[in-house]
Amino acid sequence: MDMLTWTGALSALNPVLMIAAGLLLIAVVLQILTSFFAADPGITANPDGTVAAQGGIYGLAERAVRWLFIALVVICLAYLVAGIVMPMGKAGIVGAISKRLLPVWIALIVLFVLSFNFRRKLGLYGKLFDSTIGMIGFGMVMFWVFTALFSNQIITSGVLDQIAQLKNKAPGSPLPDGTGWYLLGGDHLGRDVFSRMIKGSLIVIEIAPLATLFAFMVGITLGLPAGYYGGRLDAVLSFLANLILAFPVILLFYLLVTPEIVTTGLPQFMAVVLFLFPLIFMIVLLNSRYYVQPTRRNIMIAAVVILGGWLYLSLISTPDTRISFLPKAIDLFNVPANILIVFVSVVFVNSPTVFRIVRGITLDIKTRDYVSAAQTRGERPWYIMLWEILPNARGPLIVDFCLRIGYTTILLGTLGFFGLGLSPESPDWGSTINAGRKLLTIAPHPAIVPALALLSLVLGLNLLADGLREESLKD
Amino acid sequence: MTKWDYDGPILEIDNLSISFFTRLREIPAVMDFSCTVQPGEAMGLVGESGCGKSTVALGVMRDLGKNGRIVGGSIKFKGRDLTTMTEEELREIRGSQIAMIYQEPMASLNPAMKIGQQLMEVPMIHEGVSKAEAYKRALEVVTDVRLPDPERMLKSYPHQLSGGQQQRIVIAMALMTKPALLILDEPTTALDVTVEAAVVDLVKDLGKKYGTSMLFISHNLGLVLETCNRLCVMYSGEAVETGSIKDVFDKMRHPYTQALFRSIPLPGADKNSRPLVAIPGNFPLPHERPPGCNFGPRCDYFEAGRCDAQEITMAPVEGQDRHDTRCLKFTEIDWNAPPEVAAKQEKTAVGEVVLRMEDLRKYYEVSANALFGGGDTKVVKANETLSFEAREGETLAIVGESGCGKSTFAKVLMGLETATAGTIMLYDNEIQSTPIESRNTETVSGVQMVFQNPFDTLNPSMTVGRQIIRALEIFGEGKTDADRRERMLELLDLVKLPRAFADRMPRQLSGGQKQRVGIARAFAGGAKIVVADEPVSALDVSVQAAVTDLLMEIQRKNKTTLLFISHDLSIVRYLSDRVMVMYLGHVVELGTTDQVFAPPYHPYTEALLSAVPIADTRVKKKHIVLEGEIPSAMNPPPGCPFQTRCRWKSKVPGNLCETEVPPVRRLGNGHQVKCHLSDADFASMEPVIEVAAE
Repeated sequence: MDMLTWTGALSALNPVLMIAAGLLLIAVVLQILTSFFAADPGITANPDGTVAAQGGIYGLAERAVRWLFIALVVICLAYLVAGIVMPMGKAGIVGAISKRLLPVWIALIVLFVLSFNFRRKLGLYGKLFDSTIGMIGFGMVMFWVFTALFSNQIITSGVLDQIAQLKNKAPGSPLPDGTGWYLLGGDHLGRDVFSRMIKGSLIVIEIAPLATLFAFMVGITLGLPAGYYGGRLDAVLSFLANLILAFPVILLFYLLVTPEIVTTGLPQFMAVVLFLFPLIFMIVLLNSRYYVQPTRRNIMIAAVVILGGWLYLSLISTPDTRISFLPKAIDLFNVPANILIVFVSVVFVNSPTVFRIVRGITLDIKTRDYVSAAQTRGERPWYIMLWEILPNARGPLIVDFCLRIGYTTILLGTLGFFGLGLSPESPDWGSTINAGRKLLTIAPHPAIVPALALLSLVLGLNLLADGLREESLKD
Repeated sequence: MTKWDYDGPILEIDNLSISFFTRLREIPAVMDFSCTVQPGEAMGLVGESGCGKSTVALGVMRDLGKNGRIVGGSIKFKGRDLTTMTEEELREIRGSQIAMIYQEPMASLNPAMKIGQQLMEVPMIHEGVSKAEAYKRALEVVTDVRLPDPERMLKSYPHQLSGGQQQRIVIAMALMTKPALLILDEPTTALDVTVEAAVVDLVKDLGKKYGTSMLFISHNLGLVLETCNRLCVMYSGEAVETGSIKDVFDKMRHPYTQALFRSIPLPGADKNSRPLVAIPGNFPLPHERPPGCNFGPRCDYFEAGRCDAQEITMAPVEGQDRHDTRCLKFTEIDWNAPPEVAAKQEKTAVGEVVLRMEDLRKYYEVSANALFGGGDTKVVKANETLSFEAREGETLAIVGESGCGKSTFAKVLMGLETATAGTIMLYDNEIQSTPIESRNTETVSGVQMVFQNPFDTLNPSMTVGRQIIRALEIFGEGKTDADRRERMLELLDLVKLPRAFADRMPRQLSGGQKQRVGIARAFAGGAKIVVADEPVSALDVSVQAAVTDLLMEIQRKNKTTLLFISHDLSIVRYLSDRVMVMYLGHVVELGTTDQVFAPPYHPYTEALLSAVPIADTRVKKKHIVLEGEIPSAMNPPPGCPFQTRCRWKSKVPGNLCETEVPPVRRLGNGHQVKCHLSDADFASMEPVIEVAAE
């Protein structure tokens, strides 16, 4: 089998792509330059309720940019579609990857078509489809979510399978037995970079949102009373939050993973405290609302305590550590200690910022009349905080949640890069970048591929957050 | 570009149409609007919120934002068409020839710049004058707007001034370049009544002094009567009637104008014998306007097949000065026919005393540092020696401006705060030191509140039904969910809302509808005492009457005691049995409505009565303008709280007013006044409001 080129049989398209890209660049520059001199674009309203702009050289440049951009997108799509249609390997590396990602494409198309058609009935999520930026961001995020979901179907070889001949080989190298290719080359141990990147997405998608969710739970449970009660409680909590924010993050991580500290069980004890928050949160949430109907309240809280408590105990109890009390038979799962550390550090770093945001919004919302109305009918403080204030703070919180998943993803990468948290052979993107950076001059691809993956996910999350913010402000 | 000379009208708006373009559709905000402002003339633009009056103003400034566009007609300013001017030319005119004053003074001033700099900037940019010259002019206008100590004013930042002073600065800024046209968009809505009266007075005088033409936008007919020569009534994007104040007020020729006047409490209206007539229905949304006459569906004179068959244009009323109306039937309607009198209501009998306050005081301690305490502690005396009683089925109005302690009083009564001293008796229980957490459900559900801001009173993320059911749950009403749901639907019936509203979100409701839900919620536990904190002041005029009537009706049915907090004396006179006037935490006057609204007055009541604009040309008011601002409750004046602004102070011998808090004087029949004035002085007081004989 031959070495694959990037575009294979479609290489005839390459010059077209280049020309289009070059022209686009020129047109953009032209547009920027003319915008300094061009007169008012003379916008007129048509009777049918649309608006039309016409105007000189500026308008020309604008139209050129638009059409060239569309042409560029069409050519890129052609590479991907041709790759799916043509047999494996004929359309080069790009085509082959596109073919492997087929389940992701199908899932994305189905999701977008459905969401777009029902967008008027889907609330804020539906509104997202009115904003191009938001749609692009959402598409990028969902691309990685689906990639993680279908990762077992997509990968071409095992994450830990090594083929000595393919050490540091360039993208498109064929396997020695002729059954396929290392689509994005091999790393310094002869493992498939493409498959590792795909598998790495699973780890990121699993951990980042969950860890961020925990950070939010902690931030919200502390931020609400701080903002609502104010006074000394607020002063003390804010001071603590500032203290944690002032502490160097990397140093904190190093401290947490130092063997001496791990053996004292400190990270585990911290986990004991942090993971208790969601449980308390749920109990308070239900109690505050249903205490007027004691029977219903008791059933709900009992369910939460039993199920949540079981999960909680399984989570914190790990055999052969300091906290190990659940018999093996009822211990549902064991979270590896290093993942626990990742969780603890993410929560620790993010919750003070969430705390501040929640506190600020609470300070604003508690002056509203509906809060006074709740007070004057004798509602208890936690009901007011959780059912009157929190639902109305959701807009900024959702936006921040998206952004924060991005930070957490980077944080995971950083942790992996320093060899903290996850095990060294783990395919997560941070660790892979770290492993690849040593040979960057000889073989850059093992580091660049996961770096680009990380970049696109974080970019997607940022765009999504932008789109959400923009749309939530509109009516 | 210099100011050009022009003899004709300052502003000629001709068939102006403005639309906003959204993702879904074009929304016409103003349609076929015409008006003319002559030099030195003040034109009032009146209408309910959403009728497009502010859009007209922004259109004149050509400041419609990204999605607003003038789609037809012309706006001629001194003969030149503003709609075709370039940005460059517009920049020259804005601020120098046309100036605008907005509602919220704090938002119009740059908080990071000193007042002086902001004022001086205007002539420096528009006329390129030197810094020294600009300073001189700034000093001059600040003196003109009657601010004390102009030089200090110029050196201060906006946040160091009170709301009234800030608005005066905004007016000064608008006058810096002696504009030909001044646009005032609800300039006094955010201010207190006595401050409003002073600002309005100032605007009128300055208009005369500088010869400026004015476009005065307001929802308050009384205010327009006091400030303008001509007015234009707008409804749903169209001008429906325009003419001189006298013609429109006395000889109105459009059903909407007539309905508007019948729905506001003028002197003579009374809740029992002459109730207000609310305009039925709701204001149409801009994209749901009916065909033909926009007011058609709500009009008493509507004639199907005629009023909704064609576009209606403005038609002149014969024999009057530039009086036009947009009504097909104006020649056929008998305009002098008295309104159909709704069923007269018996005056509700007043029952036992349900609430008695004795010598209630509430002081706050304000300390400088929250974390470690310490620093200077200041005592704010929010309520001082408050004593009164309220009976079953009675409406007691509590009148006062911001900072008078009426909200604190409500908080103490509701149990959100505990009293510093004194007693509150609810039936036979002392509740002054029981916070709401330790009150029993009966007490809590017995004293409820209706809030001021309809947009804030409901939780935006809970359905209407859910919010009422929650109140029922808390008050322990109903045994099962089904019970409570049934009760909730009954409450919706009580406030005359369709039952389908139970599943709506608050954002789908109009302001008046939200306020009704708020009332339903307050009555969920069968409240005995309802504190209504300015329940209608944020609503549109036509809705106010309906909500007020609803409150009165429920009160009659349930024999509720209503504590009606308001600063609007017209509505107070209309609906209350007794009135309590508060100033800086003190009750300065207390008596029946007739006693309070007739001499002898407390000097503050007198000023308050004079300050409230009344939309009736027959009313003659005595002109009393209070100097200065309301003192801060942090730092109240010694002696009588009102002595800093009192015009009767010179009649009291010695410095009694400055040193001693006046005693409560009982003038008979429960009328009490807190003042040092002698009986002879009280006897010499003349009535502030006189209605000329018809």
